[in-house]
Amino acid sequence: MFEYTFQWRQAFRALPQMLEGALVTLQVAVLSMAMGVAIAVLLALMRNSSSPWLRAPATAWVEVARNTPALFQIYMAHFGLAGLGLYLDPFTALLAGITFNNAGYLCETFRGALRAIPGTQARAGRSLGMGAAQAFRLIVMPQMFRISFPPLTNQMVWAILMTSLGVTVGLATDLTGVTQDLNSRTFRTFELFALAAVLYYLIAKAVAGGARLLAWRLFRY
Amino acid sequence: MKPMLLAAGLAAAAGAAQADKLDDIIASGVLRCAVVLDFPPMGSRDADNNPVGFDVDYCNDLAAALGVTPEYVETPFPDRIPALVSGRADVGVASTSDTLERAKTIGFSIPYFAFTNVVLTRQDTGIASYEDLAGRTVGSVAGTFEGIALEEDVTEWGSGEFRPYQSQADVFLALSQGQIEATVVTNTVANAIIATGQYEGLTIAGDAPYLVDYVSLIALRNEEGLLDYLDLFVNQQVRTGRYQELYNLYVGEGPAPDLTIPGVYR
Repeated sequence: MFEYTFQWRQAFRALPQMLEGALVTLQVAVLSMAMGVAIAVLLALMRNSSSPWLRAPATAWVEVARNTPALFQIYMAHFGLAGLGLYLDPFTALLAGITFNNAGYLCETFRGALRAIPGTQARAGRSLGMGAAQAFRLIVMPQMFRISFPPLTNQMVWAILMTSLGVTVGLATDLTGVTQDLNSRTFRTFELFALAAVLYYLIAKAVAGGARLLAWRLFRY
Repeated sequence: MKPMLLAAGLAAAAGAAQADKLDDIIASGVLRCAVVLDFPPMGSRDADNNPVGFDVDYCNDLAAALGVTPEYVETPFPDRIPALVSGRADVGVASTSDTLERAKTIGFSIPYFAFTNVVLTRQDTGIASYEDLAGRTVGSVAGTFEGIALEEDVTEWGSGEFRPYQSQADVFLALSQGQIEATVVTNTVANAIIATGQYEGLTIAGDAPYLVDYVSLIALRNEEGLLDYLDLFVNQQVRTGRYQELYNLYVGEGPAPDLTIPGVYR
Protein backbone atom coordinates (compact mmCIF):
# COMPACT_ATOMS: atom_id res chain seq x y z
CA MET A 1 0.00 0.00 0.00
CA PHE A 2 2.70 2.50 1.03
CA GLU A 3 5.72 2.89 -1.20
CA TYR A 4 7.51 4.58 1.62
CA THR A 5 10.07 3.85 4.31
CA PHE A 6 9.04 5.09 7.73
CA GLN A 7 11.64 7.26 9.48
CA TRP A 8 10.61 7.73 13.06
CA ARG A 9 13.73 9.46 14.31
CA GLN A 10 12.90 12.66 12.42
CA ALA A 11 9.38 12.63 13.82
CA PHE A 12 10.49 12.02 17.40
CA ARG A 13 12.92 14.91 17.12
CA ALA A 14 9.88 17.12 16.49
CA LEU A 15 8.12 15.84 19.62
CA PRO A 16 8.96 18.81 21.91
CA GLN A 17 7.48 21.22 19.34
CA MET A 18 4.39 19.05 19.03
CA LEU A 19 3.93 18.89 22.78
CA GLU A 20 3.98 22.69 22.90
CA GLY A 21 1.31 22.58 20.19
CA ALA A 22 -0.70 20.12 22.30
CA LEU A 23 -0.67 22.64 25.13
CA VAL A 24 -2.19 25.31 22.87
CA THR A 25 -4.80 22.78 21.74
CA LEU A 26 -5.73 22.05 25.33
CA GLN A 27 -5.84 25.77 26.10
CA VAL A 28 -8.31 26.48 23.28
CA ALA A 29 -10.45 23.51 24.31
CA VAL A 30 -10.60 24.48 27.98
CA LEU A 31 -11.33 28.16 27.28
CA SER A 32 -14.00 27.31 24.73
CA MET A 33 -15.65 24.91 27.18
CA ALA A 34 -15.62 27.40 30.06
CA MET A 35 -17.19 30.12 27.93
CA GLY A 36 -19.44 27.62 26.17
CA VAL A 37 -20.92 26.38 29.46
CA ALA A 38 -21.60 29.92 30.68
CA ILE A 39 -23.30 30.93 27.44
CA ALA A 40 -25.18 27.63 27.24
CA VAL A 41 -26.76 28.07 30.70
CA LEU A 42 -27.93 31.49 29.58
CA LEU A 43 -29.25 30.13 26.28
CA ALA A 44 -31.08 27.29 28.05
CA LEU A 45 -32.82 29.77 30.36
CA MET A 46 -33.69 31.98 27.39
CA ARG A 47 -35.15 29.05 25.47
CA ASN A 48 -37.24 28.06 28.49
CA SER A 49 -38.50 31.59 29.06
CA SER A 50 -42.00 32.65 28.16
CA SER A 51 -40.87 35.75 26.23
CA PRO A 52 -40.56 35.21 22.48
CA TRP A 53 -37.94 38.02 22.39
CA LEU A 54 -35.66 35.87 24.53
CA ARG A 55 -36.61 32.56 22.94
CA ALA A 56 -36.03 33.58 19.31
CA PRO A 57 -32.34 34.58 19.44
CA ALA A 58 -31.48 31.56 21.61
CA THR A 59 -33.29 29.23 19.23
CA ALA A 60 -31.52 30.80 16.24
CA TRP A 61 -28.13 30.32 17.93
CA VAL A 62 -28.83 26.67 18.71
CA GLU A 63 -30.20 25.96 15.23
CA VAL A 64 -27.17 27.41 13.43
CA ALA A 65 -24.62 25.96 15.85
CA ARG A 66 -26.00 22.46 15.67
CA ASN A 67 -26.92 22.26 12.00
CA THR A 68 -23.87 23.71 10.25
CA PRO A 69 -20.35 22.24 10.15
CA ALA A 70 -17.87 23.44 12.80
CA LEU A 71 -15.44 24.14 9.96
CA PHE A 72 -17.92 26.58 8.45
CA GLN A 73 -18.43 28.30 11.83
CA ILE A 74 -14.69 28.81 12.32
CA TYR A 75 -14.24 29.97 8.73
CA MET A 76 -17.04 32.50 9.22
CA ALA A 77 -15.43 33.77 12.43
CA HIS A 78 -12.18 34.48 10.56
CA PHE A 79 -13.06 35.38 6.96
CA GLY A 80 -16.78 36.09 7.35
CA LEU A 81 -16.51 38.63 10.16
CA ALA A 82 -13.50 40.23 8.46
CA GLY A 83 -15.77 40.92 5.50
CA LEU A 84 -17.86 42.99 7.93
CA GLY A 85 -14.78 44.79 9.23
CA LEU A 86 -14.27 42.78 12.43
CA TYR A 87 -10.83 41.20 12.45
CA LEU A 88 -10.26 38.14 14.62
CA ASP A 89 -6.78 36.66 14.62
CA PRO A 90 -6.61 32.89 13.96
CA PHE A 91 -6.48 31.95 17.65
CA THR A 92 -9.47 34.11 18.56
CA ALA A 93 -11.41 33.03 15.48
CA LEU A 94 -10.91 29.37 16.36
CA LEU A 95 -11.87 30.03 19.97
CA ALA A 96 -14.97 31.96 18.90
CA GLY A 97 -16.00 29.27 16.42
CA ILE A 98 -15.70 26.40 18.89
CA THR A 99 -17.31 28.38 21.71
CA PHE A 100 -20.26 29.12 19.43
CA ASN A 101 -20.53 25.43 18.60
CA ASN A 102 -20.13 24.28 22.21
CA ALA A 103 -22.74 26.72 23.48
CA GLY A 104 -25.28 25.51 20.93
CA TYR A 105 -24.87 21.84 21.80
CA LEU A 106 -24.57 22.35 25.56
CA CYS A 107 -27.71 24.50 25.62
CA GLU A 108 -29.75 21.52 24.49
CA THR A 109 -27.93 19.24 26.92
CA PHE A 110 -28.78 21.57 29.80
CA ARG A 111 -32.37 21.94 28.67
CA GLY A 112 -32.72 18.19 28.71
CA ALA A 113 -31.20 18.06 32.19
CA LEU A 114 -33.54 20.79 33.45
CA ARG A 115 -36.55 18.76 32.27
CA ALA A 116 -35.31 15.79 34.25
CA ILE A 117 -35.43 17.80 37.49
CA PRO A 118 -38.89 17.71 39.08
CA GLY A 119 -40.49 21.15 39.38
CA THR A 120 -41.19 20.41 43.03
CA GLN A 121 -37.48 20.86 43.79
CA ALA A 122 -37.52 24.56 42.97
CA ARG A 123 -40.88 24.98 44.69
CA ALA A 124 -39.55 23.34 47.84
CA GLY A 125 -36.71 25.86 47.81
CA ARG A 126 -39.13 28.75 47.34
CA SER A 127 -41.26 27.51 50.24
CA LEU A 128 -38.16 27.72 52.43
CA GLY A 129 -37.97 31.40 51.60
CA MET A 130 -35.45 31.38 48.73
CA GLY A 131 -35.82 33.79 45.83
CA ALA A 132 -36.29 32.39 42.31
CA ALA A 133 -32.67 33.06 41.36
CA GLN A 134 -31.43 31.67 44.62
CA ALA A 135 -33.46 28.50 44.23
CA PHE A 136 -32.15 28.04 40.70
CA ARG A 137 -28.53 28.64 41.69
CA LEU A 138 -28.52 26.53 44.86
CA ILE A 139 -30.96 23.75 44.09
CA VAL A 140 -31.65 23.35 40.38
CA MET A 141 -28.26 24.20 38.84
CA PRO A 142 -26.15 21.73 40.83
CA GLN A 143 -28.55 18.95 39.85
CA MET A 144 -28.49 20.13 36.25
CA PHE A 145 -24.69 19.84 36.14
CA ARG A 146 -24.80 16.44 37.79
CA ILE A 147 -27.26 15.06 35.24
CA SER A 148 -25.50 16.60 32.27
CA PHE A 149 -21.95 15.78 33.35
CA PRO A 150 -21.36 12.77 31.06
CA PRO A 151 -22.51 14.60 27.88
CA LEU A 152 -20.47 17.60 29.09
CA THR A 153 -17.39 15.39 29.05
CA ASN A 154 -18.27 14.24 25.55
CA GLN A 155 -18.48 17.83 24.37
CA MET A 156 -15.08 18.57 25.92
CA VAL A 157 -13.49 15.72 23.95
CA TRP A 158 -15.29 16.96 20.85
CA ALA A 159 -13.94 20.48 21.51
CA ILE A 160 -10.38 19.14 21.69
CA LEU A 161 -10.79 17.39 18.36
CA MET A 162 -12.44 20.46 16.78
CA THR A 163 -9.38 22.59 17.55
CA SER A 164 -7.65 20.78 14.70
CA LEU A 165 -9.76 22.91 12.33
CA GLY A 166 -7.79 26.02 13.33
CA VAL A 167 -5.28 25.18 10.63
CA THR A 168 -7.81 26.27 8.00
CA VAL A 169 -7.75 29.86 9.27
CA GLY A 170 -3.97 30.06 9.51
CA LEU A 171 -3.35 28.96 13.09
CA ALA A 172 0.15 27.50 13.27
CA THR A 173 0.65 27.05 17.00
CA ASP A 174 -1.81 24.30 17.91
CA LEU A 175 -1.03 20.59 17.53
CA THR A 176 -2.39 20.29 13.99
CA GLY A 177 -0.80 23.58 12.92
CA VAL A 178 2.60 22.54 14.22
CA THR A 179 2.23 19.12 12.58
CA GLN A 180 1.17 20.59 9.24
CA ASP A 181 4.09 23.04 9.33
CA LEU A 182 6.60 20.28 10.07
CA ASN A 183 4.95 18.17 7.38
CA SER A 184 5.41 20.70 4.61
CA ARG A 185 9.02 21.25 5.61
CA THR A 186 10.03 17.61 5.75
CA PHE A 187 7.23 15.76 3.90
CA ARG A 188 7.39 13.09 6.65
CA THR A 189 3.60 13.11 6.52
CA PHE A 190 2.72 9.70 7.88
CA GLU A 191 5.09 9.64 10.84
CA LEU A 192 4.14 13.16 11.94
CA PHE A 193 0.41 12.67 11.64
CA ALA A 194 0.59 9.29 13.35
CA LEU A 195 2.37 10.98 16.24
CA ALA A 196 -0.23 13.77 16.29
CA ALA A 197 -3.03 11.20 16.33
CA VAL A 198 -1.47 9.48 19.34
CA LEU A 199 -1.16 12.82 21.13
CA TYR A 200 -4.80 13.71 20.44
CA TYR A 201 -5.82 10.29 21.71
CA LEU A 202 -3.83 10.73 24.91
CA ILE A 203 -5.21 14.22 25.55
CA ALA A 204 -8.78 13.06 24.99
CA LYS A 205 -8.22 10.04 27.25
CA ALA A 206 -6.64 12.19 29.95
CA VAL A 207 -9.55 14.62 29.86
CA ALA A 208 -12.14 11.85 30.04
CA GLY A 209 -10.27 10.21 32.91
CA GLY A 210 -9.88 13.51 34.74
CA ALA A 211 -13.57 14.22 34.32
CA ARG A 212 -14.45 10.85 35.83
CA LEU A 213 -12.32 11.57 38.88
CA LEU A 214 -13.83 15.02 39.20
CA ALA A 215 -17.37 13.63 38.95
CA TRP A 216 -16.58 11.06 41.61
CA ARG A 217 -15.44 13.83 43.95
CA LEU A 218 -18.17 16.34 43.14
CA PHE A 219 -21.28 14.29 42.69
CA ARG A 220 -21.22 11.49 45.24
CA TYR A 221 -24.25 11.28 47.45
CA MET B 1 9.55 -30.71 -19.72
CA LYS B 2 7.92 -29.83 -16.45
CA PRO B 3 10.99 -28.31 -14.74
CA MET B 4 11.53 -26.13 -17.82
CA LEU B 5 7.97 -24.86 -17.67
CA LEU B 6 8.43 -24.12 -14.01
CA ALA B 7 11.66 -22.23 -14.73
CA ALA B 8 9.95 -20.23 -17.48
CA GLY B 9 7.10 -19.42 -15.11
CA LEU B 10 9.52 -18.28 -12.42
CA ALA B 11 11.40 -16.09 -14.87
CA ALA B 12 8.15 -14.48 -15.95
CA ALA B 13 7.15 -13.89 -12.34
CA ALA B 14 10.57 -12.40 -11.54
CA GLY B 15 10.30 -10.16 -14.62
CA ALA B 16 6.89 -8.92 -13.49
CA ALA B 17 8.14 -8.25 -9.98
CA GLN B 18 10.90 -6.06 -11.34
CA ALA B 19 8.57 -3.82 -13.35
CA ASP B 20 9.13 -0.33 -11.97
CA LYS B 21 6.89 2.73 -11.88
CA LEU B 22 7.92 3.75 -15.40
CA ASP B 23 6.84 0.32 -16.70
CA ASP B 24 3.60 0.56 -14.72
CA ILE B 25 2.76 3.95 -16.23
CA ILE B 26 3.46 2.78 -19.78
CA ALA B 27 1.53 -0.45 -19.22
CA SER B 28 -1.48 1.25 -17.64
CA GLY B 29 -1.67 3.83 -20.41
CA VAL B 30 -2.35 6.62 -17.90
CA LEU B 31 -0.05 9.17 -16.29
CA ARG B 32 -1.50 10.59 -13.09
CA CYS B 33 0.00 14.02 -12.35
CA ALA B 34 -0.38 15.75 -9.01
CA VAL B 35 -1.03 19.41 -9.90
CA VAL B 36 -1.84 22.49 -7.81
CA LEU B 37 -4.73 24.44 -9.31
CA ASP B 38 -4.85 27.61 -7.21
CA PHE B 39 -1.43 28.79 -8.32
CA PRO B 40 -1.81 30.74 -11.56
CA PRO B 41 -0.29 30.81 -14.12
CA MET B 42 1.30 27.45 -13.24
CA GLY B 43 -2.00 25.80 -12.49
CA SER B 44 -5.58 27.08 -12.29
CA ARG B 45 -9.03 26.40 -13.71
CA ASP B 46 -10.52 28.12 -16.75
CA ALA B 47 -14.08 29.44 -17.06
CA ASP B 48 -15.34 25.92 -17.81
CA ASN B 49 -13.58 24.57 -14.71
CA ASN B 50 -10.97 22.69 -16.76
CA PRO B 51 -7.39 22.59 -15.44
CA VAL B 52 -5.10 24.95 -17.34
CA GLY B 53 -1.62 26.37 -16.88
CA PHE B 54 2.06 25.82 -17.32
CA ASP B 55 2.15 22.74 -15.07
CA VAL B 56 -0.94 21.25 -16.70
CA ASP B 57 0.60 21.54 -20.17
CA TYR B 58 3.90 20.22 -18.83
CA CYS B 59 2.02 17.14 -17.64
CA ASN B 60 0.36 16.83 -21.07
CA ASP B 61 3.77 16.96 -22.78
CA LEU B 62 5.16 14.34 -20.43
CA ALA B 63 2.20 12.05 -21.06
CA ALA B 64 2.59 12.55 -24.82
CA ALA B 65 6.28 11.65 -24.59
CA LEU B 66 5.36 8.48 -22.69
CA GLY B 67 2.57 7.70 -25.15
CA VAL B 68 -0.12 7.65 -22.46
CA THR B 69 -3.15 9.71 -21.41
CA PRO B 70 -2.69 12.40 -18.76
CA GLU B 71 -4.89 12.46 -15.68
CA TYR B 72 -4.79 15.35 -13.19
CA VAL B 73 -4.92 14.77 -9.46
CA GLU B 74 -5.61 18.15 -7.86
CA THR B 75 -3.68 18.57 -4.62
CA PRO B 76 -3.29 21.59 -2.34
CA PHE B 77 0.38 22.40 -1.66
CA PRO B 78 0.77 20.44 1.58
CA ASP B 79 -0.80 17.31 0.04
CA ARG B 80 1.50 16.84 -2.93
CA ILE B 81 3.77 14.28 -1.33
CA PRO B 82 1.05 12.31 0.45
CA ALA B 83 -0.62 11.97 -2.97
CA LEU B 84 2.53 10.40 -4.40
CA VAL B 85 3.33 8.22 -1.42
CA SER B 86 -0.17 6.83 -1.10
CA GLY B 87 -0.18 5.96 -4.80
CA ARG B 88 -2.86 8.44 -5.90
CA ALA B 89 -0.47 10.08 -8.37
CA ASP B 90 2.61 8.94 -10.30
CA VAL B 91 4.41 12.24 -10.78
CA GLY B 92 4.12 15.67 -9.17
CA VAL B 93 4.11 18.53 -11.69
CA ALA B 94 3.44 21.02 -8.94
CA SER B 95 6.16 23.71 -8.72
CA THR B 96 7.93 21.87 -5.88
CA SER B 97 11.03 23.61 -4.48
CA ASP B 98 13.93 21.18 -4.29
CA THR B 99 15.02 21.58 -0.65
CA LEU B 100 17.47 19.14 0.91
CA GLU B 101 15.05 18.54 3.77
CA ARG B 102 12.37 17.32 1.37
CA ALA B 103 14.86 15.31 -0.70
CA LYS B 104 15.19 13.01 2.31
CA THR B 105 11.63 11.91 1.60
CA ILE B 106 10.95 12.37 -2.08
CA GLY B 107 12.89 12.21 -5.35
CA PHE B 108 13.50 15.38 -7.40
CA SER B 109 14.21 15.76 -11.12
CA ILE B 110 16.51 18.52 -12.36
CA PRO B 111 14.79 21.96 -12.05
CA TYR B 112 12.09 22.60 -14.66
CA PHE B 113 11.25 26.17 -13.64
CA ALA B 114 12.65 28.94 -11.45
CA PHE B 115 10.84 31.65 -9.53
CA THR B 116 11.89 34.87 -7.92
CA ASN B 117 9.74 36.21 -5.11
CA VAL B 118 8.10 39.59 -4.68
CA VAL B 119 6.24 41.39 -1.92
CA LEU B 120 2.51 41.61 -2.61
CA THR B 121 0.56 44.12 -0.52
CA ARG B 122 -2.42 46.49 -0.64
CA GLN B 123 -1.93 50.07 -1.77
CA ASP B 124 -3.11 51.43 1.60
CA THR B 125 -0.50 49.69 3.79
CA GLY B 126 2.42 52.00 2.99
CA ILE B 127 4.72 49.02 2.46
CA ALA B 128 7.22 49.84 -0.26
CA SER B 129 9.91 47.21 0.12
CA TYR B 130 10.72 43.93 1.81
CA GLU B 131 12.36 45.73 4.75
CA ASP B 132 9.03 47.43 5.53
CA LEU B 133 7.55 44.04 6.43
CA ALA B 134 9.33 44.03 9.81
CA GLY B 135 6.75 44.29 12.58
CA ARG B 136 3.78 43.70 10.29
CA THR B 137 1.27 40.89 10.16
CA VAL B 138 2.15 38.86 7.10
CA GLY B 139 1.11 35.50 5.72
CA SER B 140 1.82 32.91 3.08
CA VAL B 141 0.97 29.36 2.09
CA ALA B 142 2.17 26.94 4.77
CA GLY B 143 5.40 25.18 3.99
CA THR B 144 6.16 26.77 0.62
CA PHE B 145 9.69 27.97 -0.18
CA GLU B 146 8.73 31.62 0.28
CA GLY B 147 6.53 30.82 3.28
CA ILE B 148 9.39 29.17 5.14
CA ALA B 149 11.78 32.03 4.27
CA LEU B 150 9.28 34.69 5.38
CA GLU B 151 8.49 32.88 8.64
CA GLU B 152 12.19 32.68 9.47
CA ASP B 153 12.63 36.41 8.86
CA VAL B 154 9.58 37.26 11.00
CA THR B 155 11.09 35.19 13.81
CA GLU B 156 14.39 37.02 13.35
CA TRP B 157 12.74 40.47 13.37
CA GLY B 158 11.15 39.51 16.69
CA SER B 159 8.01 41.57 16.04
CA GLY B 160 4.97 41.21 13.81
CA GLU B 161 3.27 37.92 13.08
CA PHE B 162 3.40 35.20 10.44
CA ARG B 163 0.21 33.36 9.48
CA PRO B 164 0.41 30.19 7.40
CA TYR B 165 -2.67 29.45 5.30
CA GLN B 166 -3.55 26.17 3.64
CA SER B 167 -4.04 27.49 0.13
CA GLN B 168 -2.99 30.39 -2.06
CA ALA B 169 -6.63 31.44 -2.42
CA ASP B 170 -6.95 31.90 1.36
CA VAL B 171 -3.81 34.05 1.42
CA PHE B 172 -5.22 36.40 -1.23
CA LEU B 173 -8.56 36.55 0.58
CA ALA B 174 -6.83 37.34 3.89
CA LEU B 175 -4.71 40.01 2.18
CA SER B 176 -7.60 41.69 0.42
CA GLN B 177 -9.69 41.69 3.63
CA GLY B 178 -6.87 43.15 5.68
CA GLN B 179 -6.30 40.11 7.91
CA ILE B 180 -2.68 40.29 6.80
CA GLU B 181 -0.87 43.34 5.47
CA ALA B 182 1.37 41.66 2.95
CA THR B 183 2.53 38.35 1.58
CA VAL B 184 5.53 37.15 -0.32
CA VAL B 185 4.67 35.20 -3.46
CA THR B 186 6.37 34.10 -6.63
CA ASN B 187 6.56 36.85 -9.24
CA THR B 188 4.41 34.91 -11.70
CA VAL B 189 1.56 34.45 -9.23
CA ALA B 190 1.68 38.10 -8.18
CA ASN B 191 1.41 39.28 -11.78
CA ALA B 192 -1.32 36.79 -12.61
CA ILE B 193 -3.49 37.67 -9.61
CA ILE B 194 -3.19 41.43 -10.24
CA ALA B 195 -3.99 40.86 -13.91
CA THR B 196 -7.24 39.07 -13.05
CA GLY B 197 -8.51 42.14 -11.14
CA GLN B 198 -10.26 39.75 -8.76
CA TYR B 199 -8.91 41.56 -5.71
CA GLU B 200 -8.80 45.34 -5.87
CA GLY B 201 -5.94 47.50 -4.66
CA LEU B 202 -3.21 44.87 -4.69
CA THR B 203 0.24 46.00 -5.66
CA ILE B 204 3.78 44.62 -5.90
CA ALA B 205 6.26 46.27 -3.52
CA GLY B 206 9.63 45.12 -4.78
CA ASP B 207 11.58 41.88 -4.73
CA ALA B 208 12.08 39.64 -1.73
CA PRO B 209 15.79 39.05 -1.16
CA TYR B 210 15.58 35.28 -1.31
CA LEU B 211 17.62 32.79 -3.29
CA VAL B 212 16.20 31.84 -6.70
CA ASP B 213 13.47 29.27 -6.06
CA TYR B 214 14.22 26.34 -8.37
CA VAL B 215 11.33 23.90 -8.67
CA SER B 216 11.45 20.31 -9.84
CA LEU B 217 9.23 17.46 -10.88
CA ILE B 218 8.81 14.94 -8.09
CA ALA B 219 8.41 11.16 -7.94
CA LEU B 220 9.03 8.49 -5.34
CA ARG B 221 12.63 8.53 -4.20
CA ASN B 222 13.31 4.89 -5.05
CA GLU B 223 12.00 5.12 -8.64
CA GLU B 224 15.38 5.68 -10.29
CA GLY B 225 14.09 4.74 -13.74
CA LEU B 226 11.27 7.27 -13.64
CA LEU B 227 13.47 10.01 -12.16
CA ASP B 228 16.06 9.49 -14.92
CA TYR B 229 13.30 9.77 -17.48
CA LEU B 230 12.06 13.01 -15.89
CA ASP B 231 15.59 14.50 -16.00
CA LEU B 232 15.88 13.76 -19.69
CA PHE B 233 12.38 15.05 -20.31
CA VAL B 234 13.12 18.40 -18.67
CA ASN B 235 16.34 18.64 -20.68
CA GLN B 236 14.42 17.91 -23.90
CA GLN B 237 11.74 20.49 -23.11
CA VAL B 238 14.44 23.19 -22.92
CA ARG B 239 16.41 21.85 -25.89
CA THR B 240 13.40 21.75 -28.21
CA GLY B 241 12.26 25.25 -27.27
CA ARG B 242 9.03 23.97 -25.76
CA TYR B 243 10.00 25.41 -22.35
CA GLN B 244 10.32 28.90 -23.84
CA GLU B 245 7.09 28.41 -25.76
CA LEU B 246 5.14 27.48 -22.62
CA TYR B 247 6.72 30.40 -20.78
CA ASN B 248 5.57 32.85 -23.43
CA LEU B 249 2.13 31.28 -23.44
CA TYR B 250 1.45 31.38 -19.70
CA VAL B 251 3.85 33.85 -18.10
CA GLY B 252 4.60 36.43 -20.77
CA GLU B 253 7.03 37.52 -23.45
CA GLY B 254 10.72 37.49 -22.65
CA PRO B 255 13.40 34.94 -21.90
CA ALA B 256 12.31 32.06 -19.68
CA PRO B 257 14.31 31.72 -16.42
CA ASP B 258 17.73 30.10 -16.71
CA LEU B 259 17.64 26.63 -15.16
CA THR B 260 21.40 26.15 -14.82
CA ILE B 261 23.58 27.19 -11.94
CA PRO B 262 26.99 28.46 -12.98
CA GLY B 263 30.03 26.81 -11.42
CA VAL B 264 28.51 23.49 -10.42
CA TYR B 265 27.30 20.23 -11.99
CA ARG B 266 23.70 19.21 -11.40
